[in-house]
Amino acid sequence: MLSRAAERVYWTGRYLERTEDAARIVQQYSQLLLDLPYEVGVRWIELVRIVGSAASYAETGLPETEDHIVRFLLGDKNNAASLLSSLRMARENVRNTRDLLPQESWECVNELYQYANDAIATAVDGEARFDILAECIGRCQQINGVLHGTMSHRAPFHFLRLGQCIERADMTSRIIDVAAAYLKRNETLVRRYGSVLWTNALKSVSAFQMYRQYRQPQVVGYEVIDYLVRDNDFPRAIRFCVDRAKASARKLPRADATVAALDEVIDFVRPLDAEHVTAADISAFMDSVQKRLGVVHGHVVDTWFLPEDAS
Amino acid sequence: MQFGHTRYSADDFYDELIDKNGEPRRHARELVEYFSAMEPGELIERQRAVDSTIVDMGISFTIYSEGDNIDRAWPLDVIPRAMPGSEWDTVERGLIQRVTALNHFIDDLYNDRRILNDGVVPAEIIDSSKNYLEPCRGAKPKHGVWAHICGSDLVRDADGTIYVLEDNLRVPSGVSYMLENRNVIKRVFPSIFRNHRVRPVSEYPSALNAMLRSIAPDEIEVRPEIVVLTPGIFNSAYFEHSYLARTMGIELVEGADLLVDDDDCVYMRTIEGLTRVDTIYRRIDDTFLDPEAFRPDSMLGVPGLMRAWRAGNVALANAPGSGVADDKVVYSYVPDIIRYYLDEDAIIPNVPTWRCSDPKHLDHVLANLADLVVKPANESGGYGMLIGPHASKDEIARFRDLLKADPRNYIGQPTLNLSTAPALCEAGLEPRHLDLRPFILQGEDVAVTAGGLTRVAMRKGSLVVNSSQGGGSKDTWIIEDDD
Repeated sequence: MLSRAAERVYWTGRYLERTEDAARIVQQYSQLLLDLPYEVGVRWIELVRIVGSAASYAETGLPETEDHIVRFLLGDKNNAASLLSSLRMARENVRNTRDLLPQESWECVNELYQYANDAIATAVDGEARFDILAECIGRCQQINGVLHGTMSHRAPFHFLRLGQCIERADMTSRIIDVAAAYLKRNETLVRRYGSVLWTNALKSVSAFQMYRQYRQPQVVGYEVIDYLVRDNDFPRAIRFCVDRAKASARKLPRADATVAALDEVIDFVRPLDAEHVTAADISAFMDSVQKRLGVVHGHVVDTWFLPEDAS
Repeated sequence: MQFGHTRYSADDFYDELIDKNGEPRRHARELVEYFSAMEPGELIERQRAVDSTIVDMGISFTIYSEGDNIDRAWPLDVIPRAMPGSEWDTVERGLIQRVTALNHFIDDLYNDRRILNDGVVPAEIIDSSKNYLEPCRGAKPKHGVWAHICGSDLVRDADGTIYVLEDNLRVPSGVSYMLENRNVIKRVFPSIFRNHRVRPVSEYPSALNAMLRSIAPDEIEVRPEIVVLTPGIFNSAYFEHSYLARTMGIELVEGADLLVDDDDCVYMRTIEGLTRVDTIYRRIDDTFLDPEAFRPDSMLGVPGLMRAWRAGNVALANAPGSGVADDKVVYSYVPDIIRYYLDEDAIIPNVPTWRCSDPKHLDHVLANLADLVVKPANESGGYGMLIGPHASKDEIARFRDLLKADPRNYIGQPTLNLSTAPALCEAGLEPRHLDLRPFILQGEDVAVTAGGLTRVAMRKGSLVVNSSQGGGSKDTWIIEDDD
């Protein structure tokens, strides 16, 4: 398989996941704000910081109000991390790898792009936002259904899944970070609203139901963190994503460095004792997870996308 | 001949299926009977089936319009164009003769230059050709072959004579549409092939593959690595590049996928690491191939590719510099070139051509602009030409100036009465002008497609067959004679 094709399929996986995650995280935050009183101190600018766009938002010089921030995160074409930018990149990559991906996936991605391009401006408005984001998430899942349901499990599939799993693990770590950020604030308020905060975190990765089924009916902060970080069976838990990424990497040639880097992520998250760490530690822990995923990405690029030495 | 209620007549033109008395030509009798028996409504139904099959199979071409790329469904007329096998056998011999001579010619130009020294072709014609590439001097491609894939455009005049209109020796396109036209017609009319002995065209991808294998560097003992090099998805022929790579089972690469290492060998970047490449079927123009040798601004090519090719470490098809022989001024010398290298007369004649570089010829062309076709020496795709009888006074005046300013760059030819065949138009079956582009492969051996791509000018009276300018196409049948 050509390196360029592998790279495009890998980025298709990442950008598709990023599109869905952008919708999920804005959806989560919008819901959260409806449930919490103003004094808890949940601010939209926090979300910009969590997704790693604080510097680029500061450059825009825009006020830190909901409408500007939501527009920046969803529809701003100049923001490379916005939903629409991610989707445009996903579409470009799918278009260039049409020979490798199922025909329907191109049609679905193209239709989603047309839909989002028309609808996203309206999603800035609070009234329509929920429905439009729910539609985007649903369509992303449809695309995933096509890809996972009809692609042979050969190299292109493994690059796609590698990209998706790395991106997904990264986003789960950020969603935990969103919730943990408030634990640092005001102990009394957090004691009162903690379960709202954590329920919301679970819902944003569609984990609420599975958590209650396989962990416990009560939503307890450290238990949620443990579930989303260390669970072996939930598809959006960090541990699960990294395991899947590893399974795909092992099907590819010359995977040693990437597999070793993935093992390091596993070794890092496995001993986490969420019950006995502080909120600040959680934040630092998630930063480390993200950095380690970045190392994995570096090995993927060096090994498969930029081979420079004659074999 | 009757189609529905209207009687089909091609007037004074030579029609490929119907003779002057309105009767089907011998080789086309069953074909004409088959379609004559159809109600007009059924014929329209079949055309719709053809159109939707093309959409379903994703057969498209790309055109540029106001900075945008638009994928259009490939236009295919429902009625095949047919030629008798015995006539085709002569054409095939003529094409092989022509390509063989042209390859001797190119090899000679870049090496000994005998034909120039002997004064058969004037050296200044070659030295002033922008398709003559100095970096190719002294190169020795395997088998002495430079133009491995040639698409020669054939036309038939009112008296039935077949001429070569031009040779495309750079990156001729269209063969994928020839193959797909046959696939579509077979799907829509499966029964019709039972009553005809139509020569198959489907072996082209394996013939192409065999040719590309035969030109791989000698030291390659295992299966050579062959790739198709495309400028990318925005190129108008991308469909064909991807189609040929897929049907040959080889990689479709872009310039960025390849690199030339310190050992002057070409490698492809794959997930396994760097893989040596032995033969490149390149669909990129000469001057974009290697920014080190030609246009430094080319993003499409591979730095060092010419170095690797000159060292004999990689084969390029077609070899760079082959285009020197499809200059339209050089074209006018092809009968002399055939005689010079093969000591034979040309089997397929050239269209009479006036070279504007010759002052006497230029005077003739200027005096007869309203009757002639004037073509620039180096354009393709039907651009930049004047069709005198169809041109306005302003256009003729503009060409008068162009010719005087740069006579070397123009030729004049009589306006041929291109032959016609019935095509399904809004008002029913009407005669439409057409040409034929067969594809000739030369490596260790020579092979010619049975027929080729028939292009049709779908606008009434028009002679322009290019798909970018409203042209359509037909499936082309070479029918075995009954004997």
